Amino acid sequence: MTRHEQSKGRGVQTGSVTGHQLKEMFNAGTAWLEKCVPEINAINVFPIPDGDTGTNMLLTMHSAMEEAHRSQDGNASSVAQTIAHGALMGARGNSGVILSQFWKGFAKGLKDNQRLSSKALARALSEASEAAYEGFVNPVEGTMLTVLRDSANAAEAAAKANSRNLTKTLATAMQAARESVANTPNLLPVLREAGVVDAGGQGLYVLLEGALHYLRGENDTLKHGKPRLIPTSQPLAPGITQMPAEVEVPYGYCMNFLLEGQDLNLKKIKKNLKKKGQSLVVTGNSSRIRVHIHSFKPGEIIDYATKQGVLHKIKIDNMDDQYAAFIKMQRKKLPPVDTAIVAVASGEGLFKLFRSLGTTIIIPGGQTMNPSVRELVEAVDSAPSNKVILLPNNKNIVVAASQVQSLTSKDVKVVPTKTIPQGIGALLSFNYDMDLENNASAMAEALNRVKSIEITKAVRKSQINGMNIKKGEFIAVLDDNELVANGKKVKDVITNALEKADVKNAELVSIYYGAETKPAEARKIADEIQNEFSVEVETVQGDQPYYNYIISLE
Amino acid sequence: MVRIVTDSCSDITPKMAEQFGLTVIPLNVHFGGKVYRDNIDLNTEGFYQKLTRSKILPTTSIPGPAVFTDTLNNLAKETREILVITLSRKFSVVYDIVSRSKESLKSKCNIEVIDSQLGIGGQLILAVSAALMARAEGTLEEIASWVTSAIPRTHVLMTFDTLEYLRKGGRIGKAQAFLGDLLKVNPILGIKKGEAFPITRVRSRARAVDFLVNFVKNFKKIDALVIEDGTTTNELGKLAQRLQGLVPDEHFYRSKVSPVVGTHVGPHILSVSVLEGE
Repeated sequence: MTRHEQSKGRGVQTGSVTGHQLKEMFNAGTAWLEKCVPEINAINVFPIPDGDTGTNMLLTMHSAMEEAHRSQDGNASSVAQTIAHGALMGARGNSGVILSQFWKGFAKGLKDNQRLSSKALARALSEASEAAYEGFVNPVEGTMLTVLRDSANAAEAAAKANSRNLTKTLATAMQAARESVANTPNLLPVLREAGVVDAGGQGLYVLLEGALHYLRGENDTLKHGKPRLIPTSQPLAPGITQMPAEVEVPYGYCMNFLLEGQDLNLKKIKKNLKKKGQSLVVTGNSSRIRVHIHSFKPGEIIDYATKQGVLHKIKIDNMDDQYAAFIKMQRKKLPPVDTAIVAVASGEGLFKLFRSLGTTIIIPGGQTMNPSVRELVEAVDSAPSNKVILLPNNKNIVVAASQVQSLTSKDVKVVPTKTIPQGIGALLSFNYDMDLENNASAMAEALNRVKSIEITKAVRKSQINGMNIKKGEFIAVLDDNELVANGKKVKDVITNALEKADVKNAELVSIYYGAETKPAEARKIADEIQNEFSVEVETVQGDQPYYNYIISLE
Repeated sequence: MVRIVTDSCSDITPKMAEQFGLTVIPLNVHFGGKVYRDNIDLNTEGFYQKLTRSKILPTTSIPGPAVFTDTLNNLAKETREILVITLSRKFSVVYDIVSRSKESLKSKCNIEVIDSQLGIGGQLILAVSAALMARAEGTLEEIASWVTSAIPRTHVLMTFDTLEYLRKGGRIGKAQAFLGDLLKVNPILGIKKGEAFPITRVRSRARAVDFLVNFVKNFKKIDALVIEDGTTTNELGKLAQRLQGLVPDEHFYRSKVSPVVGTHVGPHILSVSVLEGE
């Protein structure tokens, strides 16, 4: 570092840094971000276990920094380029894709620069902002995009005033990001109503803050401190909940076992296991309990469980291996097809269904496990055809999917399916007799003929659409953008949502019941709906996580 | 005059055969130990009544080679030229049997055998058109070459409520991977290069019928049109109305899927076949 002043605390001023230091800055930023991932995840607009913004940004940054570490080149320009490449390949979810656009622009702004200077940072942030906006046909204000632009503008002004002080420029950019994040609810009504700030903007701010801590040499803060999240500037809105949303990270171990004992306390065991992992499913009675859980530390869970009783049928799988094996298995079996269909889905039942409907490759993932761009590209590349249709089946995966075309030599068409029912609707209308282009447009048309209702449990209390939602209540989301019903009884919530979705004009209602839903309950509800609305109803075992029910109306 | 012969999978009823001067060789349907000649001992209506009453599922068979040689020998007494148009070789061995019977023929008759690569209405169109050409004094060579050239222009589309019957009979070909039996779907299949070929799936019978109608209406020029059903006569009537005027009445044929075909497709088949104009 070229230090102009003294070397302690906030007084440290740095004129410019090398590529190596740039790498370290954002390593620090990433580590800083990691500390508040659950909190960022928790501020999703809907209280549903959403396509976790914090997780997606973190995983995208991990991929970006891993790539950077592989490169030995010490100049700032090439470091930024490797980060950008890593971010693009690792981008998950909308926020991850915006972040990868950020890095693409950042690298462009730093082109041919040996070092990151005050001016270079301002230019890089401006390019980053532009690149991020370019990624959207209709950019929405009050999101990560706005935060990025405000911060870039502030950096420009600061660089003009202090052309030799990188620290000052970054600090100004970060401060502007902070104010911009607090202001997001004023720009985006849906945030205002939910009483939260934009999660992606929040993540970006934390990333910059972490980088600044490094630049200032505040290692103790980085080590022992924790980012403070920005509350909304809206005075009347309820505060941000401290309850972290459930996070499903698609790594770690998947465990299944049978626990036998005497007087087992199902409730208590469930409660305790919940703290130790994700995707928890506990079923059984006081003598036999079946457990399914995802965790990074399988030992802890085994340890806990053996204290409760005797374990049987223990199965622990590394989900990375599982994923690789899954893709490999699919690849082996595949006969060449004219047009391959690659779809994202989660749950054994949905896997089976998508396969039976002619999907060539299924990428496990969905609401809380957004596959990265790399995973999507790999699946497309392994498909036994050069013509591929990609069905993201989730709102948060659509943007990542749209990046795939530029990263493969294959001809890829993305049918922007935002829900599982839309994906099934599109898949059904696939015409074996048509070419890629025509199929993609016919499928895109078909998804408009399907309405989707997703039923899940609220992960926190919330106020939205004039509804007061209590934590743990069932909520219904229509077409993945409108919360239409809530309540304690799942049947009532479904009935309510069906009415809102204009069930009277539907010919067919399909109910895909989730991993935590009993088939008997699903069938009973189906019968009741059939009688109540005199519409044909079918039930399908979906086994999807989180969503007790996914319902389509056609 | 050239005589035209086909098998009963063309769904040409005895009445139509008489009208066009066609010879139709019946395949067999077996119910338990009893053998019925397709559309002779058992018509479509009787077949489906039996199917719903019977606990035993019917099976089908091809009559012995003698039936084919006898038919050809009899015709050879009246003509020097015979054209045989068979069901797709990928569905059945009729083509191979006829080709072999030809060798063992007594008279010196000129016989040509063509694999229609189709079945039902598509095969019907080829056979009837060939019969009309024969009446107009076309030569065997002319007719045979026309039929060969018309195969790629002949399109068959079918819908079912279930692919169960097709699957049981193992005649599902490439459509195997298409069985969306976890969902309620109405599959739409075509016949392409001699095989059942999956086209798409829709979610209701009404949409399936719409799909068939749109399929027909999308052709710029239609030389002949066949519609047929198994047990849904009213539905076929409505379909006929919707397709009226697309082709001159004398080239618009209505038929029923024969018992042998019915064994493999089930009672709710609805089908359109189009001879696309050049």
